[in-house]
Amino acid sequence: MTRRQKAIAFFVALCVLLVAGAISLNVGWIVITAEGASLRVLIFGIITFGLIIAGLIIYTVFLVLEIRRNEEHDTFINAVTHELKTPIASIRLYLETLQSRTLSDEQRREFYDVMLADADRLHRTVDQVLKAGAASQKPKVIARAPVDIGLLTQECVDLALQRHHLQASAIVVESHDDGPLMVRGDADELRSVLTNLLDNAVKYSSESVRVIVGVAAPSPDTVWVRVQDRGVGIPRKQLKRIFRRFYRVQTRGLKQVKGTGLGLYIVRSIARAHGGRVFAQSEGEGRGATFTLELPRLAS
Amino acid sequence: MSRILVVEDEQHIADGLRFNLEAEGHDVTVAPDGEQALASILDDRRAYDVIVLDVMLPGRDGFAVASTLRAAGQFVPILMLTARGRPEDVLQGFEAGADDYLPKPFELAILFARINGLLRRRLWNEAQTSGNHTTTADTYTFAGRTLDFTAMEVHARGTSYRLTRMECELLRYLVTHPRQPVSRGTLLENVWGLHEETDTRAIDNFIVRLRKYLEDQPDSPRFLQTVRGVGYKFAPEGK
Repeated sequence: MTRRQKAIAFFVALCVLLVAGAISLNVGWIVITAEGASLRVLIFGIITFGLIIAGLIIYTVFLVLEIRRNEEHDTFINAVTHELKTPIASIRLYLETLQSRTLSDEQRREFYDVMLADADRLHRTVDQVLKAGAASQKPKVIARAPVDIGLLTQECVDLALQRHHLQASAIVVESHDDGPLMVRGDADELRSVLTNLLDNAVKYSSESVRVIVGVAAPSPDTVWVRVQDRGVGIPRKQLKRIFRRFYRVQTRGLKQVKGTGLGLYIVRSIARAHGGRVFAQSEGEGRGATFTLELPRLAS
Repeated sequence: MSRILVVEDEQHIADGLRFNLEAEGHDVTVAPDGEQALASILDDRRAYDVIVLDVMLPGRDGFAVASTLRAAGQFVPILMLTARGRPEDVLQGFEAGADDYLPKPFELAILFARINGLLRRRLWNEAQTSGNHTTTADTYTFAGRTLDFTAMEVHARGTSYRLTRMECELLRYLVTHPRQPVSRGTLLENVWGLHEETDTRAIDNFIVRLRKYLEDQPDSPRFLQTVRGVGYKFAPEGK
């Protein structure tokens, strides 16, 4: 048992004891006042003890939730430390290598590419942390302009293929409608939603990546972008929780996938700022997952 | 030429380390996760001179890898190389059985120096055990037990135990301050070189291990005594 689990067990036990105490006092009160005293005193006592019991339970629930949240925060700090320090360590390692060793031109170019990729990774992490910070600020002003969601999806898919060094067949785009599907919103924000969903689909795929992206209009005034993978899947209970800040999916068979736990939180807050929503479906562990981004359609 | 196993899941860092260590003339093997590292050492019985071990690995983490190796009686020197550099992480690393700990990002020269230090220690140990102890060995004997600080070994009750570097240093400190109570904070400062407020209970695990080596009944220790409210005391003549 970790220290936190011990703390939770302690407070729950304390709560049970105190509630038991309050209940026995309540019963005692009823027994004593039932003989002779007025009905008003009896009812007043019962309500008072009832309130004390309710207060105790609410207090304990909040305490336990707060301890859990603290724990999530800690894992987040660990994850971000790792995500920030690893690319820095790598860039430093390659710079020192370039500085201290004689290298062929080919090796040199290879090392520059590695460092560029690491700088990009660093930038993505910093960007994500900043975006999550911005997402938790309440009033959200977004630039609104007509965006062709089909085109934007194709663009993000191309970028994802390139970044993860994948064959074109690994991520397939299926468009059902002929005409362009337009939404009103901020193209940069929507791009980061799609990039996040695609990155997750690739990251949580097992050996071979097979992702299907569908762009469709399920009804005249909504647009769907679905990202469907055949990866590790999500347990039913966690389908909602994964959109919470810092939350990382937990399954027994899952090898630790690296990340900050911010991606889907950002996705959800951007979707909401656009008047839409995002939801996940999964048949369970090992059966893949489908993420759907739903946005209001702009009549073209 | 030394055989080095690099356990690192970050492809870029693994490649960079391999390139540099090979340029230094070492024979380098890379394992991308803990399972493969353990399989290589325990199942394939491949002999390495030093293991460079990352902590945040997919599946089994570096701490688990180190303690599994130690539990299996593998005493190859382990250098932990990790982004987690907080004092409690460092302590956890040593507790798991690491011999040295280097936080990322690191300087290449420092990494080489530390790896060479571990390799040198191994060479010296081999020289000690094969060279018939001609030099004045750094040993200490009490109550029929012999502590060999150079070879990092304990000979007690007819058996020999290998010590990790930190076990050895802790024992050395206690032995050089006999019959006086030493606080956990003092030990942390003098043996580990840590000055921060940390969970000093981490030391207790080391004492438990040392008692297993030295005491006839580790549950009622005679030589490594607990001083309630203070820390520990070494009593060479026993209780």
